[in-house]
Amino acid sequence: MAGVFEGVRVVEFGAGAAGPVATRLLVEQGADVVRVESARHPDFLRLLPFPGLAQRRPEGGPDLEAAPMFALLNPGKRSVALDLSRPEGRALAFRLATAADVVTENFSPGVMARFGLDYESLRRGRPDLVMVSGCLFGQTGPQRHYPGFGGQGSAIAGFNHLTGWPDREAVGPYATITDSLSPRYIAVLLAGALRERRRTGRGRYLDVSQIETGVYSLAELVVRHAASGESLGRQGNRDERGAPHAIYPCRGEDRWIALEATGEAEWAALVDVLGRPAWAREEGFASAAARKANEDELDARIAAWTRGEDALELAERLQRAGVPAGPVQTPGELLGDPQLAHRGHFVRLAQPGLGELPFERGGARLAASPGQVPARAPRLGEHAREVLCGWLGLAEAELERLAREGVLG
Amino acid sequence: VFADVRVLDLSDESGCLAGRILGDLGADVVRIEAPGGDPAARRGPYLSGVADPERSLPWLALHTSQRGITLALARPRGRELLLRLVEGADVLIETAPPGAWEALGLGDAALEARNPRLVHCAITPFGRSGPRAHWRAGDLVAVAMGGNAAMTGDPDRPPVRCTLPTSFFHAGPEAAAAIAAALYAREATGRGQLVDVSLQECQAGTLLGAPGLERFRAPGRRSGARLGRTREIWRTRDGWVSFGLRGGPARAANLAATVAWMAECGQAPAWLRATDWARYDPNALSADELARLEEAFAAFFAGRSMRELYAGALERRILLAPCNDAREIAEHPQLRARELFVSLESPDPALRLEHPARFAADSLGACGVRRRAPRVGEHNAEVYGALGLGAAELEKLAADGVV
Repeated sequence: MAGVFEGVRVVEFGAGAAGPVATRLLVEQGADVVRVESARHPDFLRLLPFPGLAQRRPEGGPDLEAAPMFALLNPGKRSVALDLSRPEGRALAFRLATAADVVTENFSPGVMARFGLDYESLRRGRPDLVMVSGCLFGQTGPQRHYPGFGGQGSAIAGFNHLTGWPDREAVGPYATITDSLSPRYIAVLLAGALRERRRTGRGRYLDVSQIETGVYSLAELVVRHAASGESLGRQGNRDERGAPHAIYPCRGEDRWIALEATGEAEWAALVDVLGRPAWAREEGFASAAARKANEDELDARIAAWTRGEDALELAERLQRAGVPAGPVQTPGELLGDPQLAHRGHFVRLAQPGLGELPFERGGARLAASPGQVPARAPRLGEHAREVLCGWLGLAEAELERLAREGVLG
Repeated sequence: VFADVRVLDLSDESGCLAGRILGDLGADVVRIEAPGGDPAARRGPYLSGVADPERSLPWLALHTSQRGITLALARPRGRELLLRLVEGADVLIETAPPGAWEALGLGDAALEARNPRLVHCAITPFGRSGPRAHWRAGDLVAVAMGGNAAMTGDPDRPPVRCTLPTSFFHAGPEAAAAIAAALYAREATGRGQLVDVSLQECQAGTLLGAPGLERFRAPGRRSGARLGRTREIWRTRDGWVSFGLRGGPARAANLAATVAWMAECGQAPAWLRATDWARYDPNALSADELARLEEAFAAFFAGRSMRELYAGALERRILLAPCNDAREIAEHPQLRARELFVSLESPDPALRLEHPARFAADSLGACGVRRRAPRVGEHNAEVYGALGLGAAELEKLAADGVV
């Protein structure tokens, strides 16, 4: 089935993780997404070293294709390499951007303007352009040039303070959460603005700050503080709504089960699976309030039981009884998860030099247009000829001159 | 952006962010609660500590930019009213377990028959079909099964999650984006469709490709305040900061600038000042050398406040970030300068609280909170009135426990 965004042209500038994920939905739904890259200043994800890869070419330069993280985050896109330090490179980028329906970028504020590629410039060539910028702190404000990555965004937005153990460091959730939140918000804006343009003929420019998408998500933190000065902090796995709500050890090394039985029905079901032990009938566990008050002891009792059990088998038993529970899965274990397999989350495609890679789809399926990962990730500049000729009508001879003079690089 | 779009939102907390996003982009979102209000959504803590569904802080925070009505889906008359509302809606968002609505006579076919243009978004823990479609999960189980928890926390303790539900935070915008895509498609086809969102799958997609990277590097393990051999999270006088002691060319200038700052304060011993950061490789250091290095930085950070360190980092362009708490966020000069926070009007002055107003900025105000969260049934007369129900009829429905 044709994708929802078949025929939509997107040009993407920038680097790292927050940029490329924003266009994932568009790629899955058939949009033609072109990344403008640079050989002189490659996306740092093309330079990340991996012990399992020989990443040095004989002549000494880095192999920009030995880049599995770049590949995994950029399937289905085309790549054009342009030297934006040269006027001719910038002119081509301008022509590409104004031949597109959508432009996204996550450079530092001001970089696009230096290239003559900011919205005010581009709209003169394309009045109905939809454009979204997505840097760390936004395009305005006194700290807009703060030079952070996702790790800094997570800390500034409050996620570190909220993640970990109350008596330990503010570790933050794995990966870089403002890098994973902001592209999802940008995807809403892209799809929404494209629909609006289809109806009204008008484009839009939106300035997204990765940190602000984090704070927006944490509205409960902000409002509770505004109401009472309360500052939520790290609570391990506990939840103020009740107990048990924890991750317990299971049989084997570093095996765990997550379990939430805060409601009365779930507690009763859990006690049944436990085999109705005498302790569960004691006064200290007789009510939800008592269980919460005696949570340390409750957790110790449950852990003593889970320790001898297999995490997956136990989760299956608990789920059959109606108790929310599941094994803690490592990222690698997701490749064998039967539910994700049913949803077709991983799409295995061959990537030159890297073998088969499990590319990922988003978490939403449209029934009438399920979407797909249309192709592997591009090599740097792989599609210069087809995009520049196809979109801009450049002649072969012109293309050869640009390549010879190093503009395409 | 969505000024023409009408949304019915019956989701619980796992899905309510999607409707909030659409509402902040201009959609008319009508939240449907059970008569008397939804006790799970209107949970504590309460403003001033008095248990009152109208003063639930989580409710006030998470249900802005929507109108509110009550409706008993358990009653046949309630279900008929829902179908009438569906006739006039563009989008329906719900988080019922797969099959639950079917059993009530509100299955996909019934909804489509009433309104073939409806975009029906179902947000469930694992998706609407598949071997684990019927498994139950809140945020904790979703982050555990989505691959994040295993990698989060200290190596000597269990995997851990964020105090607030990050799997809901990822699923909300993914659902809203897919709804927008389905509405875009409808412009061409004239038909709506089902949007099937899985919390677990949304969470799985946040790992930066980690599942596929294990072929190229040793599988990661949660490492607490460290990344490999080096420390990332440091104690300050009043909290914590994030600062990497990692090597590599991208970090050299950053480390040199930090040491220069330490030297100005008389806190960089000669051996530290003499270190060549361009050649620094923590993996080549002995345990003693690494410990000495860490002690020097730790002493510098421990004597200063988060704000002081952040101010210095801004001035010297150092990659250091404070692990902000709620107060630091509320007072943040950059967020204040961009007017991220607004106080929403409310008839009850005590409820005029600051909210994060938007997730995107533009000169036209495309994205921004429209109104405070609704009181229980606040818009019953308005919304049911638009269906042609008069005051007398509404009173009877109320007496029958339908609204």
